[in-house]
Amino acid sequence: MTGQPGGDDRTRFAAVVQPNLDDAFALARWLTGNRTDAEDVVQEACLRAYRAIGTFAGGNARAWVLTIVRHTAYTWLRRNRSASLVMVDDLEAVERAHADPGDQEKATPETELIAKADAARLESAIADLPAPFKETLVLRDVQGLDYREIAQITEVPIGTVMSRLARARRRLVARLTKD
Amino acid sequence: MATPTPPEDPTLLIHAYVDGELDPANALDVERHLAADPALAAERDRVTALRAALSRHFPRESAPAGLRARVEAIARPRTVARPSWRALAASVALAALVGSSATYVALGPHEVAPTQSATASTQVGVLDAHIRAMMAPQAFDVASSDRHTVKPWFNGRLPEAPRVIDLANEDFPLAGGRVDVVDRAPAATLVYRHRKHLISLVQVPAHGQADAAPVRHMNDGYNIVRWTEGGVTYWAVSDIGAGDLESFVQKFRTAPADQ
Repeated sequence: MTGQPGGDDRTRFAAVVQPNLDDAFALARWLTGNRTDAEDVVQEACLRAYRAIGTFAGGNARAWVLTIVRHTAYTWLRRNRSASLVMVDDLEAVERAHADPGDQEKATPETELIAKADAARLESAIADLPAPFKETLVLRDVQGLDYREIAQITEVPIGTVMSRLARARRRLVARLTKD
Repeated sequence: MATPTPPEDPTLLIHAYVDGELDPANALDVERHLAADPALAAERDRVTALRAALSRHFPRESAPAGLRARVEAIARPRTVARPSWRALAASVALAALVGSSATYVALGPHEVAPTQSATASTQVGVLDAHIRAMMAPQAFDVASSDRHTVKPWFNGRLPEAPRVIDLANEDFPLAGGRVDVVDRAPAATLVYRHRKHLISLVQVPAHGQADAAPVRHMNDGYNIVRWTEGGVTYWAVSDIGAGDLESFVQKFRTAPADQ
């Protein structure tokens, strides 16, 4: 076996990966939709991270760990549930299918409807988002990462993060304010 | 963050503004627009309400304690070095058994009717691996009844993780896993326990092969059930009765993948 991590790597793993386990689990849970699969994904991601710990060049440890978790989760989803995974190529079609009705000016108290939405309703609305929207929204609005970190983790420019986030939020708002 | 080039959609900047991602000059600019344009103000209110709802309903999650313990174990130094005498003993046993099992395939009872010689040699390999494992100090290289321990153990060793199902409630508790060499390629083997007996379940990659229903063989007093599903050929080998082994296979196949 070559490239087995040594003692220094164990220390680095403990410093880089273990403190970010909660975030890793939260992201995996949102991407897979349940805790059992999230545990599998995170454990696999941590093994990958351990083997690759020598390539961590400093900087943002959380973003580095979440990048690995994200890749592992999508590999897992492709293997286990390819039908449910909508990737970037399909996004434009998805957008057309959900063409915005454009009635944003209506006087209904939208913010009240949003505030009254319960957790289950919110959760299922998020679960139904296409993967690129879902991951961006979860990283920002649930996990509190900033745009730069999200751009690093999802491997897109910051402008794309902005537009995905806006679209994801609009879809949630549309779901929550429609009866 | 750096201010992006002015987007064609001004509401994008509202989101960045609510997220505190704009520098002061751009933030002032957005505030001027917000004061002048009720549509933008409505967007801001929706985003603010949504963010409040999300943070109220989804507080920070904690990783389960079991997961944390398993992740911490990843970086714990391994203390058990594999004794080399065991590999030696195994290869001696292998040499002895290849001869005897090959004979059985040639002369074997009528249940042994593999149509292709490739299947026959795989069957020999699978049975040898099982017998060899029974002679070893323990029948598995990772001993655990926790599928969250067994499955990841294969990760660094094989390109594809095996399907690991917990059948403890069905009287077939997981005992562990090992890597067997079948047809000169490594294969993931799970070991299940049934009363005092062990079952080896060898998973051999079979990319592109059609699914095939379980077929039972008997070889050298061992029962063997083989089936192909999802690009993997499964071989269940044990000295338990044929009925028990078929019941195990049926439970393994019908267990939900996500359990």
